[in-house]
Amino acid sequence: MTKSQKQNLDNVIRYTLLTVWLLIVLFPLFWIVATSFKPDKDWLAWPPVYWSEEPTMSNYNNVWGGAMEHAETQYAQSVQKPFTALRNSTIISFISTFLSVSFGAFIAYGVSRYKVLSETRMFQLLMLRMVPPIVLVGPLSLYYTTIGLIDSLTGLIAIYFITTLPYAVWMTKSFIDEVPIELEQAAEIMGANRWTIITEVVFPVIRSGLLATFLFILILTWSEYLVAFILSKTDAVTLPVELAKYEGSSEGRVYGRQAALSVGITIPLIIVGITIRKHLARGFSFGMIRK
Amino acid sequence: MARSEIMLQRTKRYKKMVLFPLIASIMLILGPALLLQLYLSFNYYSIYSEGWWASEWYALDIFSEVVFDSRFHIAIVRSLGFALASTVGCFVIGFGLALLMYKNFRLQWFYYIIFIIPMLTVPIVIAYTAEMILYQKGPLNGILSSIVGRDMLIMWITNPDIALLTVVLMEVWNWAPFSFIIMMAGLASLPKEPVEAAQILGASRLKIFYEIQLPLLRPIIVLALVLRFLEAMAEFPKTWAIFQGGPGTATETIPVLIYLNTWYYFDWSKAAAMSYIVMMMMVVIILTAIKILQKENKRIAQVQAN
Repeated sequence: MTKSQKQNLDNVIRYTLLTVWLLIVLFPLFWIVATSFKPDKDWLAWPPVYWSEEPTMSNYNNVWGGAMEHAETQYAQSVQKPFTALRNSTIISFISTFLSVSFGAFIAYGVSRYKVLSETRMFQLLMLRMVPPIVLVGPLSLYYTTIGLIDSLTGLIAIYFITTLPYAVWMTKSFIDEVPIELEQAAEIMGANRWTIITEVVFPVIRSGLLATFLFILILTWSEYLVAFILSKTDAVTLPVELAKYEGSSEGRVYGRQAALSVGITIPLIIVGITIRKHLARGFSFGMIRK
Repeated sequence: MARSEIMLQRTKRYKKMVLFPLIASIMLILGPALLLQLYLSFNYYSIYSEGWWASEWYALDIFSEVVFDSRFHIAIVRSLGFALASTVGCFVIGFGLALLMYKNFRLQWFYYIIFIIPMLTVPIVIAYTAEMILYQKGPLNGILSSIVGRDMLIMWITNPDIALLTVVLMEVWNWAPFSFIIMMAGLASLPKEPVEAAQILGASRLKIFYEIQLPLLRPIIVLALVLRFLEAMAEFPKTWAIFQGGPGTATETIPVLIYLNTWYYFDWSKAAAMSYIVMMMMVVIILTAIKILQKENKRIAQVQAN
């Protein structure tokens, strides 16, 4: 084989393997989108219906357009409140992420410049994230019931704040480490105090990093299931928990409706994630990988 | 006062100020929950009690019941097995894809964007979607049937021998992108000179991979494995939403078993004792992991500094 033949073969193998995985990735995504446009009879048909011959918007109308006006496609509808869940998810994830990133950034600055946490303490901070939440949510729900935080947005915001803080500290620290210290020294000579240096020199320099951190943590919080599932009942239900409600006692799972809601929950995350794709490795590795 | 002393004092003040919210929220939220967990492990509480404060002192009875509970032992083994299998699965696929892709080629950006989508998908959505796809008369079996040419009706969900494998497959679909992006970053940060030098000396690609690239990548590989393993130990939504521990007890991992004991059997105290043991176990695992990460983190920083 000549060199170029070998290269061609390489390319064929590469594209084949990549395309196989591409199809594996895309098929479930396709399926959920397709299902969201299927009428009831196609949800579980055999042989499977890949794309309905009579696509319908009724699933979307039913989920988002108010159940009453679409009574003909209604299943055990009384407790479903997608708009409340949307509002809750938005409030909870934005506020807890905002708190996490802002407090995290100040801690990170302290660690980066003054070692307010030793390296060992920094690694111990990861515990907040790494201990499986299931071991504490039971007692936590009892405690929340006792102090009246159960089923409240505040309660969920607090726990998400704590559990995402390790990501916030580590990720923002990785950005702050890259800010040349000379910038701060220059500002200090000009008489800036520490607050001014942080908020008007350091944070503006790393603003795209802060935004990436914010969006990264937003993705984690938005899709969290277990904690929200246990600490909410009716008022503080988030979108992932709401999804489980599209299930009737006699009808089983209402696939079309679930699919329609799923598409709505997931698309914003995919868009956000693709936007910050260059920072995802940094985020998931707690800032240990920086390129 | 000397200038350095003023600086030191300021630093102390800053430290107190920034750490205050963290310490306060840990003490106000996690602290009481931890105490309550310990309390419940020694005092029998069920929902029929007046309240958790009115539970009965059981000394070590609850712990000893849990320690000798074979269902609990099996759940631990199952969780470790699940975490190990899915970690390896994610890594093999993620690293494989990264090796195919790290050198620039025309559609690199396109594949990259598509490949990261699964990890951006809400896990509970993955669970519900998987249920539709894996249904015995569902599309996956439909596709397999048309490839093989006869009806393949694999019971992905209802066969207890396959169920845990199904969860592993879901986990791999969901999180292979994690290993993929980390290994892409790792491969991209490798210094080019050693590889080029070896090529000039006539080393084969396989030899270059094993003797140059792999050793350099080691810290990043460890990072990818350790972080994924820890996350997999906590996996709940995908396991729960489809299987609730079933069929039988085939998918009863630690999180599922604790959940069942708390909210299905209302055996809060047993669940608390279990949680306590699991927490201690995880703390040991995590401290080991942290030690490994701390060591490898320095090497990663070195590699990336090149």
